[in-house]
Amino acid sequence: MANDAITKEEILAVYPKVAETMADALGCDIEDIKLDVSLIEGLDAESIDFLDMVFRLERAFKIKIPRGKIVENARGDLPESEFEQKGIVTEKGLVQLKSYLSEIPDSRFKTPMKVADIPRLFTPETFCKLVVRAQREAQATA
Amino acid sequence: MRIDAGLLGKSVIVTGGSRGIGRAIVELFADEGSDVTFFYRDNAKAADEVVQAATATSRKVASEKVDVRDASACAAAVERVANRCGRIDILVNNAGIIRDNQLAALEDDDVRSVLETNVGGVFNMARAVVPHMIVQRAGKIINLSSVSGEKGGRGQTNYAASKGAINAFTRALAVELAPRKITVNAVAPGVIETEMSQDVRDAAGDVVLSKILLRRFGSPEDVACAVWFLASDYANYVTGEVLHVDGGFKME
Repeated sequence: MANDAITKEEILAVYPKVAETMADALGCDIEDIKLDVSLIEGLDAESIDFLDMVFRLERAFKIKIPRGKIVENARGDLPESEFEQKGIVTEKGLVQLKSYLSEIPDSRFKTPMKVADIPRLFTPETFCKLVVRAQREAQATA
Repeated sequence: MRIDAGLLGKSVIVTGGSRGIGRAIVELFADEGSDVTFFYRDNAKAADEVVQAATATSRKVASEKVDVRDASACAAAVERVANRCGRIDILVNNAGIIRDNQLAALEDDDVRSVLETNVGGVFNMARAVVPHMIVQRAGKIINLSSVSGEKGGRGQTNYAASKGAINAFTRALAVELAPRKITVNAVAPGVIETEMSQDVRDAAGDVVLSKILLRRFGSPEDVACAVWFLASDYANYVTGEVLHVDGGFKME
Protein backbone atom coordinates (compact mmCIF):
# COMPACT_ATOMS: atom_id res chain seq x y z
CA MET A 1 0.00 0.00 0.00
CA ALA A 2 2.73 2.44 1.06
CA ASN A 3 4.55 1.98 -2.25
CA ASP A 4 1.51 1.82 -4.56
CA ALA A 5 1.34 4.54 -7.18
CA ILE A 6 -0.33 7.66 -5.88
CA THR A 7 -3.63 8.30 -7.62
CA LYS A 8 -4.89 11.63 -8.90
CA GLU A 9 -7.81 11.31 -6.47
CA GLU A 10 -5.43 11.07 -3.53
CA ILE A 11 -3.56 14.14 -4.75
CA LEU A 12 -6.71 16.17 -5.28
CA ALA A 13 -7.98 15.18 -1.85
CA VAL A 14 -5.05 16.89 -0.11
CA TYR A 15 -4.49 19.66 -2.67
CA PRO A 16 -6.80 22.37 -1.27
CA LYS A 17 -5.12 22.29 2.12
CA VAL A 18 -1.65 22.01 0.54
CA ALA A 19 -2.35 25.05 -1.65
CA GLU A 20 -3.59 27.06 1.32
CA THR A 21 -0.50 26.08 3.35
CA MET A 22 1.81 27.00 0.48
CA ALA A 23 0.19 30.39 -0.01
CA ASP A 24 0.76 31.07 3.71
CA ALA A 25 4.40 29.95 3.53
CA LEU A 26 5.16 31.92 0.38
CA GLY A 27 3.08 34.93 1.32
CA CYS A 28 1.26 34.83 -2.03
CA ASP A 29 -2.38 34.66 -3.11
CA ILE A 30 -3.89 31.21 -3.20
CA GLU A 31 -4.94 31.93 -6.79
CA ASP A 32 -1.23 31.97 -7.74
CA ILE A 33 -0.82 28.37 -6.63
CA LYS A 34 -1.43 25.86 -9.41
CA LEU A 35 -0.89 22.13 -9.15
CA ASP A 36 1.86 22.19 -11.77
CA VAL A 37 3.59 25.54 -11.27
CA SER A 38 7.35 25.40 -10.54
CA LEU A 39 7.76 26.61 -6.96
CA ILE A 40 11.15 28.19 -7.59
CA GLU A 41 10.72 29.58 -11.09
CA GLY A 42 7.01 30.31 -10.94
CA LEU A 43 6.55 31.38 -7.33
CA ASP A 44 10.05 32.59 -6.38
CA ALA A 45 10.37 30.06 -3.57
CA GLU A 46 13.76 29.94 -1.79
CA SER A 47 15.27 27.01 0.08
CA ILE A 48 13.96 28.27 3.42
CA ASP A 49 10.46 28.35 1.91
CA PHE A 50 10.66 24.61 1.29
CA LEU A 51 11.40 24.06 4.97
CA ASP A 52 8.60 26.43 5.91
CA MET A 53 6.18 24.46 3.73
CA VAL A 54 7.27 21.16 5.25
CA PHE A 55 6.79 22.50 8.80
CA ARG A 56 3.36 23.91 7.95
CA LEU A 57 2.26 20.74 6.15
CA GLU A 58 3.32 18.66 9.15
CA ARG A 59 1.08 20.78 11.36
CA ALA A 60 -1.81 21.01 8.94
CA PHE A 61 -1.94 17.27 8.27
CA LYS A 62 -0.51 16.07 11.61
CA ILE A 63 2.15 14.06 9.80
CA LYS A 64 5.94 13.77 9.91
CA ILE A 65 7.91 14.55 6.77
CA PRO A 66 11.61 13.67 7.01
CA ARG A 67 13.48 16.97 7.30
CA GLY A 68 15.78 17.96 4.48
CA LYS A 69 15.21 14.65 2.76
CA ILE A 70 13.04 15.70 -0.14
CA VAL A 71 15.81 15.23 -2.68
CA GLU A 72 17.01 12.01 -1.01
CA ASN A 73 13.47 10.65 -1.27
CA ALA A 74 13.60 11.20 -5.00
CA ARG A 75 16.53 8.78 -5.16
CA GLY A 76 14.34 5.92 -3.95
CA ASP A 77 16.26 2.69 -3.39
CA LEU A 78 19.07 3.72 -5.72
CA PRO A 79 22.44 4.12 -3.97
CA GLU A 80 23.82 7.66 -4.14
CA SER A 81 26.77 6.56 -6.31
CA GLU A 82 24.34 5.16 -8.93
CA PHE A 83 21.99 8.15 -8.72
CA GLU A 84 24.58 10.82 -9.27
CA GLN A 85 28.20 11.33 -10.24
CA LYS A 86 29.97 14.55 -9.26
CA GLY A 87 26.69 16.38 -8.76
CA ILE A 88 25.18 15.26 -12.09
CA VAL A 89 22.24 12.83 -12.16
CA THR A 90 23.19 9.61 -14.01
CA GLU A 91 21.03 8.08 -16.76
CA LYS A 92 19.78 5.50 -14.29
CA GLY A 93 19.18 8.29 -11.78
CA LEU A 94 17.19 10.27 -14.30
CA VAL A 95 14.87 7.31 -14.92
CA GLN A 96 14.32 7.04 -11.16
CA LEU A 97 13.82 10.80 -10.81
CA LYS A 98 11.29 10.91 -13.64
CA SER A 99 9.39 8.06 -12.08
CA TYR A 100 9.40 9.79 -8.66
CA LEU A 101 8.38 13.11 -10.20
CA SER A 102 5.95 11.54 -12.67
CA GLU A 103 3.83 14.68 -12.60
CA ILE A 104 6.60 16.77 -14.19
CA PRO A 105 6.62 16.88 -18.02
CA ASP A 106 9.69 15.37 -19.68
CA SER A 107 10.63 18.70 -21.24
CA ARG A 108 11.43 20.17 -17.82
CA PHE A 109 14.18 17.63 -17.08
CA LYS A 110 17.45 19.05 -18.37
CA THR A 111 20.33 16.91 -19.58
CA PRO A 112 22.73 16.98 -17.94
CA MET A 113 20.64 17.38 -14.82
CA LYS A 114 22.42 18.78 -11.77
CA VAL A 115 21.39 17.39 -8.37
CA ALA A 116 21.31 20.98 -7.10
CA ASP A 117 18.67 21.79 -9.73
CA ILE A 118 16.24 19.03 -8.67
CA PRO A 119 14.26 21.38 -6.37
CA ARG A 120 13.62 23.58 -9.43
CA LEU A 121 11.36 20.81 -10.70
CA PHE A 122 9.18 20.75 -7.59
CA THR A 123 5.57 21.81 -7.88
CA PRO A 124 2.66 21.83 -5.41
CA GLU A 125 1.85 18.36 -6.74
CA THR A 126 5.26 17.14 -5.53
CA PHE A 127 4.31 18.26 -2.03
CA CYS A 128 0.84 16.71 -2.33
CA LYS A 129 2.58 13.41 -3.00
CA LEU A 130 4.88 13.93 0.00
CA VAL A 131 1.79 14.41 2.15
CA VAL A 132 0.03 11.34 0.74
CA ARG A 133 3.16 9.22 1.30
CA ALA A 134 3.48 10.48 4.88
CA GLN A 135 -0.21 9.77 5.50
CA ARG A 136 0.19 6.24 4.17
CA GLU A 137 3.24 5.63 6.34
CA ALA A 138 1.41 6.95 9.40
CA GLN A 139 -1.49 4.60 8.65
CA ALA A 140 0.87 1.68 8.11
CA THR A 141 2.55 2.19 11.48
CA ALA A 142 -0.66 3.01 13.36
CA MET B 1 12.02 58.49 20.52
CA ARG B 2 10.75 55.90 22.95
CA ILE B 3 10.60 52.25 21.98
CA ASP B 4 8.83 49.50 23.87
CA ALA B 5 11.28 46.65 24.48
CA GLY B 6 8.54 44.31 23.26
CA LEU B 7 9.17 41.55 25.77
CA LEU B 8 5.79 41.57 27.52
CA GLY B 9 4.01 38.24 26.98
CA LYS B 10 6.82 36.81 24.85
CA SER B 11 7.46 33.08 25.13
CA VAL B 12 11.11 32.63 26.13
CA ILE B 13 13.22 29.50 26.60
CA VAL B 14 16.49 29.74 28.55
CA THR B 15 18.74 26.68 28.87
CA GLY B 16 20.82 26.25 32.00
CA GLY B 17 18.51 28.59 33.88
CA SER B 18 18.70 27.41 37.45
CA ARG B 19 21.96 29.10 38.43
CA GLY B 20 24.46 31.81 37.60
CA ILE B 21 24.04 33.82 34.42
CA GLY B 22 21.07 31.70 33.30
CA ARG B 23 19.15 32.47 36.45
CA ALA B 24 19.79 36.21 36.08
CA ILE B 25 18.49 35.99 32.49
CA VAL B 26 15.37 34.10 33.59
CA GLU B 27 14.65 36.66 36.30
CA LEU B 28 15.18 39.65 34.03
CA PHE B 29 12.81 38.32 31.36
CA ALA B 30 10.25 37.39 34.01
CA ASP B 31 10.46 40.94 35.37
CA GLU B 32 9.73 42.19 31.85
CA GLY B 33 6.50 40.18 31.81
CA SER B 34 7.72 37.42 29.49
CA ASP B 35 6.48 33.86 29.84
CA VAL B 36 9.76 32.10 30.66
CA THR B 37 10.55 28.39 30.60
CA PHE B 38 14.04 27.43 31.66
CA PHE B 39 15.72 24.08 31.23
CA TYR B 40 18.04 22.60 33.84
CA ARG B 41 20.04 19.41 33.87
CA ASP B 42 20.15 18.06 37.39
CA ASN B 43 19.88 20.67 40.12
CA ALA B 44 16.17 20.33 40.85
CA LYS B 45 16.48 22.16 44.17
CA ALA B 46 17.98 25.26 42.57
CA ALA B 47 15.39 25.08 39.77
CA ASP B 48 12.51 24.90 42.25
CA GLU B 49 13.87 27.93 44.06
CA VAL B 50 13.87 29.97 40.87
CA VAL B 51 10.32 28.93 40.01
CA GLN B 52 9.03 29.53 43.53
CA ALA B 53 10.68 32.94 43.85
CA ALA B 54 9.11 33.98 40.55
CA THR B 55 5.63 32.63 41.16
CA ALA B 56 5.59 34.19 44.64
CA THR B 57 5.74 37.55 42.88
CA SER B 58 3.26 36.62 40.12
CA ARG B 59 5.89 36.22 37.44
CA LYS B 60 5.52 33.53 34.79
CA VAL B 61 8.39 31.06 35.14
CA ALA B 62 8.30 27.31 34.52
CA SER B 63 11.09 24.75 34.48
CA GLU B 64 11.82 21.58 32.52
CA LYS B 65 14.46 18.99 33.38
CA VAL B 66 16.29 18.59 30.07
CA ASP B 67 19.83 17.52 29.24
CA VAL B 68 20.66 19.65 26.19
CA ARG B 69 23.00 16.92 24.93
CA ASP B 70 19.88 14.83 24.21
CA ALA B 71 18.37 16.02 20.91
CA SER B 72 15.08 14.18 21.30
CA ALA B 73 14.64 15.43 24.87
CA CYS B 74 15.20 19.00 23.62
CA ALA B 75 12.69 18.52 20.80
CA ALA B 76 10.06 17.06 23.14
CA ALA B 77 10.48 19.80 25.73
CA VAL B 78 10.32 22.53 23.08
CA GLU B 79 7.06 21.01 21.77
CA ARG B 80 5.62 21.09 25.28
CA VAL B 81 6.50 24.77 25.60
CA ALA B 82 5.07 25.51 22.14
CA ASN B 83 1.84 23.71 22.99
CA ARG B 84 1.50 25.56 26.27
CA CYS B 85 2.47 29.05 25.06
CA GLY B 86 1.26 28.78 21.45
CA ARG B 87 4.60 29.98 20.06
CA ILE B 88 8.29 30.41 20.83
CA ASP B 89 9.61 33.93 20.47
CA ILE B 90 13.05 33.85 22.06
CA LEU B 91 15.64 31.14 22.67
CA VAL B 92 18.60 31.82 24.95
CA ASN B 93 21.20 29.07 24.64
CA ASN B 94 22.97 29.52 27.94
CA ALA B 95 23.69 25.97 29.17
CA GLY B 96 27.40 25.33 29.26
CA ILE B 97 30.08 23.57 31.26
CA ILE B 98 33.77 24.07 31.85
CA ARG B 99 36.49 21.40 32.27
CA ASP B 100 39.73 23.38 32.25
CA ASN B 101 43.07 21.64 32.00
CA GLN B 102 46.19 21.77 29.89
CA LEU B 103 45.62 19.98 26.62
CA ALA B 104 47.98 17.10 27.35
CA ALA B 105 46.17 16.41 30.61
CA LEU B 106 42.64 16.45 29.20
CA GLU B 107 40.74 13.18 29.41
CA ASP B 108 38.54 12.07 26.51
CA ASP B 109 35.46 12.92 28.53
CA ASP B 110 36.74 16.45 29.27
CA VAL B 111 36.79 17.12 25.55
CA ARG B 112 33.63 15.26 24.63
CA SER B 113 31.39 16.53 27.40
CA VAL B 114 32.34 20.19 26.88
CA LEU B 115 31.74 20.00 23.12
CA GLU B 116 28.56 17.95 23.43
CA THR B 117 27.04 20.30 26.00
CA ASN B 118 28.25 23.67 24.78
CA VAL B 119 28.06 23.11 21.03
CA GLY B 120 25.80 20.06 20.69
CA GLY B 121 23.29 21.64 23.05
CA VAL B 122 23.11 24.78 20.92
CA PHE B 123 22.48 22.68 17.80
CA ASN B 124 19.85 20.54 19.52
CA MET B 125 17.94 23.51 20.85
CA ALA B 126 18.16 25.56 17.68
CA ARG B 127 16.98 22.61 15.57
CA ALA B 128 13.99 22.19 17.85
CA VAL B 129 13.03 25.86 17.94
CA VAL B 130 13.79 27.08 14.41
CA PRO B 131 10.83 25.33 12.70
CA HIS B 132 8.48 27.30 14.98
CA MET B 133 10.27 30.57 14.28
CA ILE B 134 10.33 29.98 10.52
CA VAL B 135 6.57 29.46 10.48
CA GLN B 136 6.05 32.47 12.77
CA ARG B 137 8.34 34.59 10.55
CA ALA B 138 9.81 36.00 13.72
CA GLY B 139 12.14 35.01 16.50
CA LYS B 140 15.33 35.82 18.30
CA ILE B 141 18.10 33.41 19.20
CA ILE B 142 20.84 34.46 21.60
CA ASN B 143 23.78 32.17 22.25
CA LEU B 144 26.06 32.52 25.25
CA SER B 145 29.63 32.55 24.01
CA SER B 146 32.70 33.64 25.98
CA VAL B 147 35.75 35.85 25.81
CA SER B 148 37.59 32.52 25.45
CA GLY B 149 36.04 32.04 22.01
CA GLU B 150 38.26 34.75 20.57
CA LYS B 151 41.15 35.25 22.96
CA GLY B 152 43.56 32.57 24.09
CA GLY B 153 43.42 31.37 27.68
CA ARG B 154 45.62 28.70 29.26
CA GLY B 155 43.95 25.37 29.98
CA GLN B 156 40.87 26.20 27.93
CA THR B 157 41.33 24.51 24.56
CA ASN B 158 38.12 22.50 24.95
CA TYR B 159 36.06 25.41 26.27
CA ALA B 160 37.59 27.92 23.84
CA ALA B 161 36.92 25.61 20.89
CA SER B 162 33.31 25.24 21.98
CA LYS B 163 32.80 28.98 22.27
CA GLY B 164 34.59 29.75 19.00
CA ALA B 165 32.22 27.24 17.41
CA ILE B 166 29.27 29.10 18.90
CA ASN B 167 30.47 32.36 17.34
CA ALA B 168 30.78 30.71 13.93
CA PHE B 169 27.42 28.99 14.38
CA THR B 170 25.81 32.32 15.27
CA ARG B 171 27.05 34.04 12.12
CA ALA B 172 26.11 31.13 9.84
CA LEU B 173 22.62 30.70 11.29
CA ALA B 174 22.04 34.46 11.09
CA VAL B 175 22.56 34.22 7.32
CA GLU B 176 20.26 31.22 7.03
CA LEU B 177 17.37 32.69 8.99
CA ALA B 178 17.53 36.31 7.86
CA PRO B 179 14.92 35.73 5.11
CA ARG B 180 12.42 34.94 7.86
CA LYS B 181 13.35 38.00 9.97
CA ILE B 182 14.81 35.79 12.68
CA THR B 183 17.87 37.29 14.32
CA VAL B 184 20.74 35.24 15.74
CA ASN B 185 23.32 36.84 18.01
CA ALA B 186 25.76 35.90 20.74
CA VAL B 187 26.86 37.45 24.00
CA ALA B 188 30.47 36.84 25.01
CA PRO B 189 30.95 37.37 28.73
CA GLY B 190 34.36 37.85 30.32
CA VAL B 191 34.98 36.72 33.90
CA ILE B 192 31.63 36.78 35.67
CA GLU B 193 31.03 36.17 39.37
CA THR B 194 29.44 32.73 39.19
CA GLU B 195 30.19 29.28 40.62
CA MET B 196 31.59 28.30 37.23
CA SER B 197 34.35 30.89 37.30
CA GLN B 198 35.16 30.45 41.00
CA ASP B 199 38.29 28.39 40.35
CA VAL B 200 39.70 30.90 37.88
CA ARG B 201 39.03 33.79 40.23
CA ASP B 202 40.56 31.92 43.18
CA ALA B 203 43.67 30.89 41.28
CA ALA B 204 44.46 34.07 39.37
CA GLY B 205 41.98 36.70 40.46
CA ASP B 206 44.45 39.57 40.86
CA VAL B 207 46.22 38.88 37.58
CA VAL B 208 42.91 38.65 35.76
CA LEU B 209 41.56 41.81 37.40
CA SER B 210 44.64 43.75 36.32
CA LYS B 211 43.73 42.95 32.71
CA ILE B 212 40.12 44.10 32.98
CA LEU B 213 39.86 47.76 32.04
CA LEU B 214 36.89 48.35 34.34
CA ARG B 215 38.79 46.67 37.23
CA ARG B 216 35.97 44.44 38.39
CA PHE B 217 34.50 41.08 37.56
CA GLY B 218 31.15 41.11 35.82
CA SER B 219 27.89 40.22 37.49
CA PRO B 220 25.35 37.78 36.05
CA GLU B 221 23.04 40.80 35.70
CA ASP B 222 25.61 42.58 33.48
CA VAL B 223 25.33 39.67 31.06
CA ALA B 224 21.56 39.36 31.39
CA CYS B 225 21.19 43.01 30.34
CA ALA B 226 23.09 42.33 27.11
CA VAL B 227 20.88 39.31 26.40
CA TRP B 228 17.83 41.44 27.17
CA PHE B 229 19.00 44.03 24.64
CA LEU B 230 19.50 41.47 21.86
CA ALA B 231 16.10 39.91 22.59
CA SER B 232 14.32 43.26 22.70
CA ASP B 233 12.88 45.32 19.89
CA TYR B 234 15.83 47.70 20.38
CA ALA B 235 17.96 45.13 18.57
CA ASN B 236 15.63 44.36 15.67
CA TYR B 237 18.33 45.43 13.19
CA VAL B 238 21.16 43.47 14.82
CA THR B 239 22.02 39.97 13.60
CA GLY B 240 25.10 37.77 13.35
CA GLU B 241 26.86 39.77 16.05
CA VAL B 242 28.92 38.72 19.04
CA LEU B 243 28.44 41.30 21.79
CA HIS B 244 31.32 41.36 24.27
CA VAL B 245 30.39 41.93 27.90
CA ASP B 246 33.77 41.68 29.56
CA GLY B 247 34.65 45.06 31.04
CA GLY B 248 37.37 45.44 28.43
CA PHE B 249 39.18 42.21 29.21
CA LYS B 250 42.60 41.92 27.59
CA MET B 251 43.97 38.42 27.39
CA GLU B 252 47.13 37.21 25.72
